Amino acid sequence: MKTKLALGTAALGLLLAAVPVMAHHSFAAEFDSNKPIKMTGTVTKIEWMNPHAYFYIDVKDAAGKVTNWGLEMGSPNGLMRQGWTRNSMKIGDEVTVEGSAAKDGSNIGNARSVTLSGGQRLFAASSQTPANP
Amino acid sequence: MNLRRLSTTATLAVAVSTLFFSLHAQGQGRGRGNADAALPTPRLADGTVNFGRVAGEKGIWQVPYITNMGMQLVDDQGNRIAPQPQRGGGRAGGGRAAGAEGRAAGAPLGGGEGTGGGRGRGGSKSEPWVPFQPWAAAVYDYNSRNDSKYDPEGYCLPPGGPRMMATPYPAEIIQLPEQKRVIMIFEGATHIWREIYMDGRPHPTGDALNPTYLGHSVGHYEGDALVVDVVGFNEATWLDYFGHPHTDQMHVIERFTRPNKGTLHYEATVDDPGAYTKPFKVAWDIPWNGSGELTEYICQENNKYLNRLTDDFNQPIFGPRRAQ
Repeated sequence: MKTKLALGTAALGLLLAAVPVMAHHSFAAEFDSNKPIKMTGTVTKIEWMNPHAYFYIDVKDAAGKVTNWGLEMGSPNGLMRQGWTRNSMKIGDEVTVEGSAAKDGSNIGNARSVTLSGGQRLFAASSQTPANP
Repeated sequence: MNLRRLSTTATLAVAVSTLFFSLHAQGQGRGRGNADAALPTPRLADGTVNFGRVAGEKGIWQVPYITNMGMQLVDDQGNRIAPQPQRGGGRAGGGRAAGAEGRAAGAPLGGGEGTGGGRGRGGSKSEPWVPFQPWAAAVYDYNSRNDSKYDPEGYCLPPGGPRMMATPYPAEIIQLPEQKRVIMIFEGATHIWREIYMDGRPHPTGDALNPTYLGHSVGHYEGDALVVDVVGFNEATWLDYFGHPHTDQMHVIERFTRPNKGTLHYEATVDDPGAYTKPFKVAWDIPWNGSGELTEYICQENNKYLNRLTDDFNQPIFGPRRAQ
């Protein structure tokens, strides 16, 4: 437990260090920063659009049940400043997402970072900031 | 794990966090990462301060994300009125270090949202230095309680007043001295621009002053400062993400200075007798990104936030009501 505490502190530091710059709507009204998600899945759909790009992944649980999740990122201009292009992620790619789940329990999340199939980890220009949790 | 090892690990964790904090702050502010801050203020041919690019170079103002104007209030000497949180310190009980306020200016991080309720949003009581009228305090408290879900910027409506310089997308200031006007272009919010008349004209009066999102701006130079007087705001905007309200009586006097090539210092005196008992002044720094250029951002394209937004009774605001 003590280890967890220390790791938690380090993780908090890293989280705050990776501050994205884009903001559009109230993060807190839609997502819960106290419900962190980390999931790996196969990309089924990509919407490279304003004001938020979305992508959808099929995530398989331990029992083999597949759930489709929708993940929100920043806008294309913000994503491009973080190193993305519209072809960074393709349908069928396996990606790992870290972020926060929706407050209402639906299979929607806000992606803070995405590790692409090639291993590259990109920040997702999310609207979450320390002051806008 | 014994106590000493825990202590060592925790110290290391804090040190790592602090390092990241400071790297981040410096990357955006006046320190390392903004090499232009060491360069002199650029000037136009006639000696006027150049608030934009130097010919042949790129560059944009990297507007910071100021979520709570209440934390940016300054006194006549320019000192912040709100208690400034300790760098990197989490708030006891709150469990979350908050307060991106002034981060681009290299201000301390951590804390800063006020206390109360465990929600991290203290409302008007946490900002006794903000001269709220009672109704404005009540509106602000409501916006605090519902996590700002009705923020007009979430609906892709423009910011008004000082929030134009607090919405975190790049901006440019283009001076056109021959035409006696200054244009400001904002990539974010809703791709807006401002025109500031520098020809000495007065504000329109009576019905000729049509309330608008950005208001009517007239400007002049006072030494090295660009001073802009703005009236004629509508009431469709909030002063900030946290939801400080304003009325159409709002009068804003902005003062732009560029103390060095890498820094735009912004001050705004907000006088709104409809919502506040006395004027107050806010101020922050905006760093220059010498390699940046504007890109396209169209907020209105596919705003799914609106589709998922529900009212205080958990009913969709846009779309059919749910069965009870």
